[in-house]
Amino acid sequence: MSIDGSAASMEWRECWLAEGDPPPDLVAQVKQATGGMVPTWTYRLAPVPWVVRALAGTNQARFAAMPPELFGLIAFVVSQDNSCRYCYGATRAILKITGYADDVIDRIERDVQLADVSLASLTALRFARKLSQANPRPDAADLATLVSVGFSQPAIAEIAYAAAIMCFANRLSTLFALPPEAIVRWVDNPIVRLLRPLIARKFRDKPFPSASLPAPNDPPCDAVIAGLAGSPAAHVVRGAVDDALASPVLPLRTKLLVFAVVGRALGCAHTERDARSGLARAGLGPSEVDEILANLGSPALDAREQALVPFARETVRYRNGVIQERTRALVDRLSIAEVIEGVAVASLANTIARLSVILDAC
Amino acid sequence: VLTLLLVVALAAAALVAWRTGERNADLARRLGHASGELEALQHAFARFAPHEVVERIIADGIATDAETKDVTILFADLKSFTALAEHLDPARLVELLNGYFERMNQVVAAHRGYLAKFIGDGLLALFGALEPNPWQTNDALHAALAMRAAIAEYNRELAARGLPEIAAGIGIHCGPVVTGVLGTSALKEYGVIGRTVNVAARIEEMTRVHDTDVLVSDAVRTRCDSRFRMRPMPPAEAKGLPEPLVTFAVDGFDGG
Repeated sequence: MSIDGSAASMEWRECWLAEGDPPPDLVAQVKQATGGMVPTWTYRLAPVPWVVRALAGTNQARFAAMPPELFGLIAFVVSQDNSCRYCYGATRAILKITGYADDVIDRIERDVQLADVSLASLTALRFARKLSQANPRPDAADLATLVSVGFSQPAIAEIAYAAAIMCFANRLSTLFALPPEAIVRWVDNPIVRLLRPLIARKFRDKPFPSASLPAPNDPPCDAVIAGLAGSPAAHVVRGAVDDALASPVLPLRTKLLVFAVVGRALGCAHTERDARSGLARAGLGPSEVDEILANLGSPALDAREQALVPFARETVRYRNGVIQERTRALVDRLSIAEVIEGVAVASLANTIARLSVILDAC
Repeated sequence: VLTLLLVVALAAAALVAWRTGERNADLARRLGHASGELEALQHAFARFAPHEVVERIIADGIATDAETKDVTILFADLKSFTALAEHLDPARLVELLNGYFERMNQVVAAHRGYLAKFIGDGLLALFGALEPNPWQTNDALHAALAMRAAIAEYNRELAARGLPEIAAGIGIHCGPVVTGVLGTSALKEYGVIGRTVNVAARIEEMTRVHDTDVLVSDAVRTRCDSRFRMRPMPPAEAKGLPEPLVTFAVDGFDGG
């Protein structure tokens, strides 16, 4: 199965985001996170720097309890499941660089059951797919299965994180129809093939020491982040959530409404409750929130919210072509920066709501 | 002699290695071919059952167990179709009907529904059956209004082609149904059963009694967005139901 063949089967529109001019310190942060590369999204998402930083953060695979080599496989199967052409190409290229043969990757792609991996890894991959698909969400039995094949609770939390954070990257890439990176093209170049073992050192994930919980770890999302206790990933999530909520592009209330809608759509009571608490502090009463969440609309919503609240629901499960058109249509009602931030907040909410399965087990 | 034995052993080993390599390559080719066929079959099968159901069947086999879910059911049926069928030649009739089904399918899919079945000139659409959907009732109502608009547009097209206009009755009800793969060992389909389905079918029939195109049950009216404009219809007896059926005609939506 060629990369072009598989990618071609994933519906994908043209990317309409123009390349901006990111500040040098932002470019430096991206380089640090990606091993020296500056992906094109650094320029396209530049109007909202926290989105660039958060997406770069997904490249920093820092795991203390989960076998780090699992991340590449989880990233690949989740991206394939989400039909994210951008992430599929990038993760497949990285798997090749780190030593996976084409036929091995093909087997994983055709059927995870055929993958030449251990039973534990296979179980983790199945769990990652279920977490990403969320239809239904993984339950206590799925978590018990992971325990039965030898994963500790902190490792399970990191497996959930690995799948959930790819849901963030997949959504951002898909909704904006990001074009493929150069790495997808040059991975099969004969010279690059020779240099793969050297390049692989940059990409190969290494275990990281345990990390203390971010401090402060305040609401919202504090419980989910506490579920990642001991993992460096907790800092990635905390940083992304804090950056997102502090950004001045969209009002805090709008962002919390997006979180609440995604929580409701995924049946995640934790996420919805967290967002409701924040909305109450922002002055939106329970009955108003009830009406908004029941109908995805209300006279209480401002113009931006009237566009983003129903849109947030669309980001949970989608067909690429449809969601890419709906994302583009937001430009008629919002500024480019608002669209970028709205999509990123919805993507982050999808990550948090999916990740919250760890609260039921850890 | 030792050298000769070594050469023979090496040659034999090389031959075995070569044959093993050939056999492996052949097996890989066959596996690839079989996988390709399976994928094609999976795509084809997705036209007969929802993708999620196909995936579950591939992973676990055809399950005999079923689930109870809260689902919103939409029935639509063409009015006066028998008379229409008598006046049109079969080819044009099928063309007209397929054009209608195609448009309805697009509308249902655009509102997150699943077109589960064609029943003659009627159709059954499900909302919230394949994936959890807290907004399934609103989705079904928006779909019904979009179906009304799509039929009006189709009628303009049919008139331009010299074909008769069509009119549909749409009935919507929500509640618990049993979902699963139903049928005999020779013929199976993904479907829903239960009282909710029967009531939805009766509500659709009521569109003729009340001379309207979109009717919903009280359960739907209670759960849906209050911005849908509705008129109560007089309760009416329905076949197989112990109580008169309370329905509401849907006129439009006052939201954006």
